[in-house]
Amino acid sequence: MVKINGTMINYYSICHRSVWYLIHGLEAAQDHPFLEIGRFITQESFARSKKEVVFDNLKIDLVKKENNDVVVAEIKKSSKAKKTAQLQLAYYLYRLKEIGITARGELLFPKEKKREKMVLSEELENMLKTTILEIEKISNMEKPPELKKIPYCRNCAYRDFCWC
Amino acid sequence: MKKRIYIFQNGELKRKDNTLYFENEQGKKFIPIENTSEILIFGEVDVNKRFLEFTTQAEIIIHFFNHYGYYIGSFYPREHYNSGYMILKQAEFYMDMTKRLSIARLFIKGATFNILRVLKYYQKRGKEVEDVIVVINDILKKTHLTDDVNVLLGLEGNIRNTYYQAFDQITENVDFSFEKRSRRPPENALNALISFGNSLLYVEVLREIYQTHLDPRIGYLHTTNFRSFTLNLDIAEIFKPIIVDRCIFNLLNKRMLKPKHFLKELNGVVLNEDGRKLLIQEYETRLKTTIKLSGTKDEVSYSRIIRRELYKLEKHLMGEKEYAPYVSGW
Ligand code: SF4
Repeated sequence: MVKINGTMINYYSICHRSVWYLIHGLEAAQDHPFLEIGRFITQESFARSKKEVVFDNLKIDLVKKENNDVVVAEIKKSSKAKKTAQLQLAYYLYRLKEIGITARGELLFPKEKKREKMVLSEELENMLKTTILEIEKISNMEKPPELKKIPYCRNCAYRDFCWC
Repeated sequence: MKKRIYIFQNGELKRKDNTLYFENEQGKKFIPIENTSEILIFGEVDVNKRFLEFTTQAEIIIHFFNHYGYYIGSFYPREHYNSGYMILKQAEFYMDMTKRLSIARLFIKGATFNILRVLKYYQKRGKEVEDVIVVINDILKKTHLTDDVNVLLGLEGNIRNTYYQAFDQITENVDFSFEKRSRRPPENALNALISFGNSLLYVEVLREIYQTHLDPRIGYLHTTNFRSFTLNLDIAEIFKPIIVDRCIFNLLNKRMLKPKHFLKELNGVVLNEDGRKLLIQEYETRLKTTIKLSGTKDEVSYSRIIRRELYKLEKHLMGEKEYAPYVSGW
């Protein structure tokens, strides 16, 4: 069975093909300019508070304690893809819940100086369960899911790979 | 864009804190590590483990060339894209003879079509190359009649040798007559140019392979011995005519390269530093040149086209789309 991580959840809401790539170890080439920006933001904004936490196969950007709550934060470059980021964060909360840790979530957009709080609702949890099943289905596919042009392709790090 | 660094002089490459530098009697030269993709070493250069550890961390590939400009080998950082899935696919297509043959044939087809493209370009400009074109087409047909990869590789060699016969026609430069292909070491100036140019391309393709999930040790046309790189040799065949050979023709036809750029030695002929620099300059310019791909709006550089060629191969191995080699439009 495939080990699901945050990136897969993240990619799932954008494009199923990229999930298949990830599962098969086909990372996108890192010399793609948009990826560089993403890495840069994570590194620069929080260079001083190195708090990235690795839990099982998940890489959580930031974990802190506020009052008595555990707060898990995910850093993103723009709030444009908020829905996607929410699901990814929800997945962390879900996995923590599985091992008995109740945590709150926070989405951080350092560039926009914004932060957003979230909790794991039942609705989110159900959505996650379906997503996990779907990702498992994708992982069992012999070939990547059919190629379809979507707006995201334009800036996608897999662009050349998909469309050559 | 990261840059290639070429080192012609003798000296020592070192790491100091977080920078690299090259040192010899004439002085020190700093190499900005974050802007460097690879280092090509032509001079007698010493390096130490500290240096290699540092460049590996920065994912810089170091390529070594011998005195004749002939490629010796590379220090290839441990792979940073690793897909067990893709390596298994690559091996599967290598071990299954039918699958391997089909890829090998496609490589030859691409290489030959690009050779013919170059020849036809010069034919239009009044060069007598018709005979060569006819012979090449004949040999190409034979590639479909054999089921033996070694025979196939031999036919590819025949095509190249036939093509080389047209070089004198194309260049009409008595200082650079072809005679015959000689490699280790090259016996005349034209052979020295071809060897040097091809070496540059092998290294370039290797660099691009490093950015994909393919293992450079598994080639399809060139026999894999799992110890040295062969996939880059395969892919380079496709691009030699349109990248390397065109550079050589340009430099010779414009009379930019002269006999003074070569040294005749006891064992063979060597390009001197100025000669190498001329070819490298022409080559770098060509790699950066962007062209419009047929059927798309995209303008892409040759470097990018090489990368795409590798992606196309990956898709072939994934069973998604049959590989079709790049054929130049002009
Ligand atoms: S290029 Fe388009 S189809 Fe390919 S992975 Fe990216 S979004 Fe998906």
